[in-house]
Amino acid sequence: MMRARQQIIPYLFLLPALLLLVVFNLMPTIATLFESMFVISLRSGERVFAGFANYNRIFNDPIFWKSFQVTVVFSLLVNPIQIALALGLAVLINQRAPGIGIFRSIYLLPIAVSLNVTAIVWGLMLDQNSGMINGILLQLGIPRQPFLHSVDQALWSIIVIASWIGVPLWSLFILAGLQNIPPPVLEAAKIDGANAWQSFTKITLPLLRRVLAFVLVADTVANFLMFAPILLLTSGGPRLSTNLIMYETYRRGFLYGDLGASAAMLSVMLVIVFIIVGIELYALRGRD
Amino acid sequence: MNSKPLRSHAQPLVVYALLLLGVVIVIVPLMWAAAASFTPNHKVFEYAYPFSWRALFPVDFTLEAYDNLFDRGFGRAVGNTFFLAIATVIIGGAVNALAGFAFGRFEFRGKNALFLTIVMLTFMVPVDLTAIPRYILVNSFGWINTWQGLLIPGLANSLVIFLFRQFFAEIPQELIDAARVDGATWLRVLVSIILPISKPVLVAAALLMFISQWNAFFWPLLIAPTKEMRVVQVEISLAIGQYGTVWNELLAGSMIAAIVPILLVIPFQRYYVQAITGTGLE
Repeated sequence: MMRARQQIIPYLFLLPALLLLVVFNLMPTIATLFESMFVISLRSGERVFAGFANYNRIFNDPIFWKSFQVTVVFSLLVNPIQIALALGLAVLINQRAPGIGIFRSIYLLPIAVSLNVTAIVWGLMLDQNSGMINGILLQLGIPRQPFLHSVDQALWSIIVIASWIGVPLWSLFILAGLQNIPPPVLEAAKIDGANAWQSFTKITLPLLRRVLAFVLVADTVANFLMFAPILLLTSGGPRLSTNLIMYETYRRGFLYGDLGASAAMLSVMLVIVFIIVGIELYALRGRD
Repeated sequence: MNSKPLRSHAQPLVVYALLLLGVVIVIVPLMWAAAASFTPNHKVFEYAYPFSWRALFPVDFTLEAYDNLFDRGFGRAVGNTFFLAIATVIIGGAVNALAGFAFGRFEFRGKNALFLTIVMLTFMVPVDLTAIPRYILVNSFGWINTWQGLLIPGLANSLVIFLFRQFFAEIPQELIDAARVDGATWLRVLVSIILPISKPVLVAAALLMFISQWNAFFWPLLIAPTKEMRVVQVEISLAIGQYGTVWNELLAGSMIAAIVPILLVIPFQRYYVQAITGTGLE
């Protein structure tokens, strides 16, 4: 009797959380794949089985492919930039210098601020007519730049905006990794005559491998879903140059009411996220 | 050997120079936005282009933007967001702490399977990717534009379950045994033995839940777009198109959206950093 009661208690404690996770997270994950086989209208609410018709439609749609291409280019630029800068920042704030605590606190500020606020503030600073960045360029004798209004500069502007939060955020993980390295390891290298650069590349970086792998995956997934700055600042333009795939799914599904095509795109994204996370789990399996 | 003293002098200078460069990049946008939110609208860009130091301070101080913003009903959004974030911390905190307690302190059949298939899997799939079926589901419950629709789907949080599980697993067994011998129920053990010594994880989890709910955007945008139910992040995002060029109000709203999480993170930064990085390094 006592044993039986004992056995049921952990399940009771788990029930609310697991029920909520199953209903609102797990089921929608499966349903995304399922939903991509249906054509449904937000307005009439009718829902018709359509097989792979939605996939056919998006795979034959140049706007989808353009959006996919922009997302790949964006990922290949933003992730290495953010991780390299985050690594540099982590090394900087890991120094034992007077006042370093104040610097660490200041670098936390962007992490607390939402991406919306960041997009709004940077959007105004990058204004092509009277933004502060152009105001600074003017003082330096450099001509006005169009930034978000230019096919060539808009994606770079989004990268700057995303990195204002991303770099300090990911540097926290790398900093934690740096602080896990036992000081004797680095001292031993110094005694063996390694200079700062050698001990960084030969000892610190290999010991950061797990942390960097985690950051690479988490950063890639986060940037893959970049949405708010596009909605707020460019609506995917100019000429689709910032039409990242998450915004395209929103545009299709919620602005045009084409939930089927939207779910098909989200399913493609879901598969890509699974592949990225799967590679991470495979690469990190069983090692320490 | 020669270069040694030189390097040890040069290095701190380089470090501080780079640190200051970073601080400028972090602080200047916030200072300009804050200053501009206290500036008459027609002067918002006055010192930004061409740039002068006056752009970073409210030299033509006025509360006009904040007055107008609250006259338009921005207070409602602020109240909504506070209510939602606090409710998430309290209800979600209870739900996730119970689950973390079960995973951290009990041995039971299916424990690892449940943890891997439900908690890990939902941790890996970003919520925004599955928003459409969640929207359809919540719509079928009749929860569009309701508190339930805003609150309930975000209560269970696998990251927070992780945090609780890790912390609870490290509490010494003797503390729990002593209470159990005295006949305390498990719920009582959790509430009167474990929670009082769990301040670090409670603060970390509360910060994480409060700030992610305060900053949440995609789901509230889909589920609760009407004026009465809007949260701060949605309100400021809609203000961009709506009010055309009322820049100072847009920035005033953004500053209110930014100041709340900043004021929470600064005093509790140690906990917040732990909350953010805790799971990534496991």
